[in-house]
Amino acid sequence: MVLVLALGDLHIPHRAPDLPAKFKSMLVPGKIQHVICTGNLCIKEVHEYLKTVCPDLHITRGEYDEDSRYPDTKTLTIGQFKLGVCHGHQVIPWGDLDSLAMLQRQLDVDILVTGHTHQFTAYKHEAGVVINPGSATGAFSSITYDVNPSFVLMDIDGLRVVVYVYELIDGEVKVDKIDFKKTTTPTNLPH
Amino acid sequence: MDNPLSQNPDSMWGRFFKISELERMLDQDLTRLYPERDSYFQTSVCQGMLRRILLLWCLRNPEYGYRQGMHEILAPLLYVLHIDVENLSEVKRTYADHFVDKFDGFSFHENDLTYKFDFKKFSESQGDNNGFENTSAKASSLYEFDPEIQTTVLLNDAYGAEGELGIVLSEKFMEHDAYSMFDSLMSGSGGAIAMAKFYSHPSGKPHTGPPPVIEASSALYHLLYNVDSSLHSHLVELGVEPQYFALRWLRVLFGREFSLEELLVIWDEIFAHENTVSSPAVACDAESNFALLESPRGAFICAFAVSMILNLRSSLLATENATISLQRLLNFPDDTKLAKLLAKAKSLCAIGRDANKLTPVPIQSESYDRRKSNVTRGHSLSMDSSSTNTPPTVVPDSYWEEKWRVLHKEKGNKLSAGGDQVPNRRNGWSERVRLHLSRTESDPSPSKKNERTKIPKPFVRRSLLDDLARKLGADEDTKEDTVSDADVGIGGSVDVNREDVTDKNYESSSSAAGSEDNSSNFSEPSGPIHRSSDNVNEVERSSVASNSSMDENDARICVNGPECSPLPVSNPFDENENDTQMCVDNPECSHVYVSSHHDGGSSKSAGNDEAVGKLATGIKEIKHLSGKFQWLWKFGRNVNEGTSVRTVPEDAKACSNGIDQNNFVDISTADGCNCSSETSKGETVDQNLRVSWKNIGQSMIENIQVLESVFQQDRGGQVAGSSENLSKNGLVGKGQVTATAALKELRKISNLLSEM
Repeated sequence: MVLVLALGDLHIPHRAPDLPAKFKSMLVPGKIQHVICTGNLCIKEVHEYLKTVCPDLHITRGEYDEDSRYPDTKTLTIGQFKLGVCHGHQVIPWGDLDSLAMLQRQLDVDILVTGHTHQFTAYKHEAGVVINPGSATGAFSSITYDVNPSFVLMDIDGLRVVVYVYELIDGEVKVDKIDFKKTTTPTNLPH
Repeated sequence: MDNPLSQNPDSMWGRFFKISELERMLDQDLTRLYPERDSYFQTSVCQGMLRRILLLWCLRNPEYGYRQGMHEILAPLLYVLHIDVENLSEVKRTYADHFVDKFDGFSFHENDLTYKFDFKKFSESQGDNNGFENTSAKASSLYEFDPEIQTTVLLNDAYGAEGELGIVLSEKFMEHDAYSMFDSLMSGSGGAIAMAKFYSHPSGKPHTGPPPVIEASSALYHLLYNVDSSLHSHLVELGVEPQYFALRWLRVLFGREFSLEELLVIWDEIFAHENTVSSPAVACDAESNFALLESPRGAFICAFAVSMILNLRSSLLATENATISLQRLLNFPDDTKLAKLLAKAKSLCAIGRDANKLTPVPIQSESYDRRKSNVTRGHSLSMDSSSTNTPPTVVPDSYWEEKWRVLHKEKGNKLSAGGDQVPNRRNGWSERVRLHLSRTESDPSPSKKNERTKIPKPFVRRSLLDDLARKLGADEDTKEDTVSDADVGIGGSVDVNREDVTDKNYESSSSAAGSEDNSSNFSEPSGPIHRSSDNVNEVERSSVASNSSMDENDARICVNGPECSPLPVSNPFDENENDTQMCVDNPECSHVYVSSHHDGGSSKSAGNDEAVGKLATGIKEIKHLSGKFQWLWKFGRNVNEGTSVRTVPEDAKACSNGIDQNNFVDISTADGCNCSSETSKGETVDQNLRVSWKNIGQSMIENIQVLESVFQQDRGGQVAGSSENLSKNGLVGKGQVTATAALKELRKISNLLSEM
């Protein structure tokens, strides 16, 4: 029952002033155990705010981030799953599943979280899951039309991960749920 | 749809988070449970059981939730179960042979659960080889064991939980048993006392009264009031609300005040009392009932708490600070004798039950108007058959006004009645005497005078009753005789002192303070009557020998209450202050005084040789005291009473400083002598003799006036702090004689009164 929050591309203060109020009211401290941020916060204050939601915070560097000390990619293990984080502007074509799968294999993770497209997607392919939480503020993007604010909450429970997607559509929060089960991969024998 | 961040509290996730919140609180408490016994309580087995039981109970009773303290009620229950199971397994192990499964080859009634396996028969039916001898040897030896072990073995079934004893006590079902025990304790199982009520918090719905725990705390104070009203009033004046300490006591059933073994003994007592509501008829009177006192168990809990308070009596009365009193109450001393507490609690139980039937005392909770209208002395002072019960419709007053009214009512009552009960003699005595001394002139006396007269009071008081008793109806002509009798065997200094005393007495005849002091002292005679002579002697000596001990004694002498307290410290001539304290302080003072005497006495050794001298001085003091008492009483009538607690320590210091300690030694020795002689008589209950009272009162007044004049003289020559001045003043002749005569008269009066 580990709750992991995944969000990114807030672009505060350049493209958006703040998170939507409804999102903020939902993100109360104490419920979430980990926070993964794909990047483009952009300022330190957002970093502080995310720290209040949960002290365990993992951020990768987006191209507009003002703090240059964030890493390009990050991997962490939660429960039985290995998670990888990357902003995604490094992977071209932006948002291409095959290229992201290549990155996933490179990082050797089960779940890859990337952003940059400001569009929520969740793909499953044989190796694992690729999730894009979209833009939590609905910031403008030159490659996506009609950006809706969205973020993702993952409930990791043993070998099963339930992905809840929260989207703010027309002022209402809509929630969707996707189930993923990890198949125990056989140990890789050296060929 | 149900998602982890949903705001809906009823959603699965919402409940999940609520449960995890509960668990977190539970864990916080459980990890800190009984750290000194973590060999059992901190094991994962025990912790897991506790956690599950508490979680389940809280989820099944969401209206209470989890409150800190519930785990401390559950823990001893689980501990008892655990210990019992351990003992059983001990027995099993020790006598393992007898528990061996011998059913193979032996037919038994499988379906008959009540079939008792007859060990003896079985062993006899064994084969006659070595095994037989063995088993028969064992079997025969079985009956040589403890009957308890016999029972254990015989009742045990080799198959464990299905055995008869296994039904009652089984390791498998320890958790289940603990849960049911906890549940029944919390819910009260239909009885009057449900522990859960102590944790409840009245929510928005219109509640008919205070939270149950507050009400229970008031019940506690109510019982205390009935048993020991001076201590009660002292605590009330300090502002020590009962729930400050009673909350913890009641919620955990004294679990925090005693060690686990002692706690189990206490709980045995508590649970031995039934929990049924004893008198449904009383429940009709919703105004005055305390739920806590409705059942025998509740009454015992209340009585035990009161006995705990009484155990700390002396130290509580000594404190002038609410914080310190609370500290004393909350850090209950470790060395208390549990048997004593329990015995006292049992005796108070009956009082508690009766007290519940009377209208309650107006206690500190002013927000709870329904209980504020009546004031009765209740059980302890039931001398007045016509104890006033104002109708419940009386507008609720402030607490102090209530007290004022109470005291006035009591005075009126005492005028009409006269009976008194021995246990609360101290309370009744002061009131009664005060009522009958109608000639007081109330002038605030200088502080010095108060100080001066304070010290002898305690000692005088003891002999005061003696004098009264002897003197009842007598005139003052005998003063001279008694004085001469008294002047035997006393050293020269004593004589001198006595003279000083008498002179001062004369001089201070107009001093109200003195009379007040006297009267206030007089109010205490009932208390000291019970003292042994040794105590008195010791106290007297201590006054001479050590200033500090004297201070301590004086500190308790708040008898002077109105005058003493403010005078030495702030404004010696503040009459109003003096007056306000009078009535309220007197009963308290008397109690305080008694305790102080007790303490002071211990430091000194009794002296028989000075008995006579003491007698003489005692007489003087008595006169002095009676005059003061008069004034005191008069003050009480004339002035509006404030019931602020005076700074007793300040008084004490002033007293000790201002009074000639040498004088007091002599006086006190005289008193001590008298006191000892009168101790036996002192126990008699006063009768309803109004006329005799009046006579006593008048003679006392005269005596006191005499004493006061002497004291006044003495005080004039004395500066605060120099005790030698008095002795050097050398007031001789008439002053001394009259003073001693007055004292003698007072003593007679006291004797008479005590005999009545």
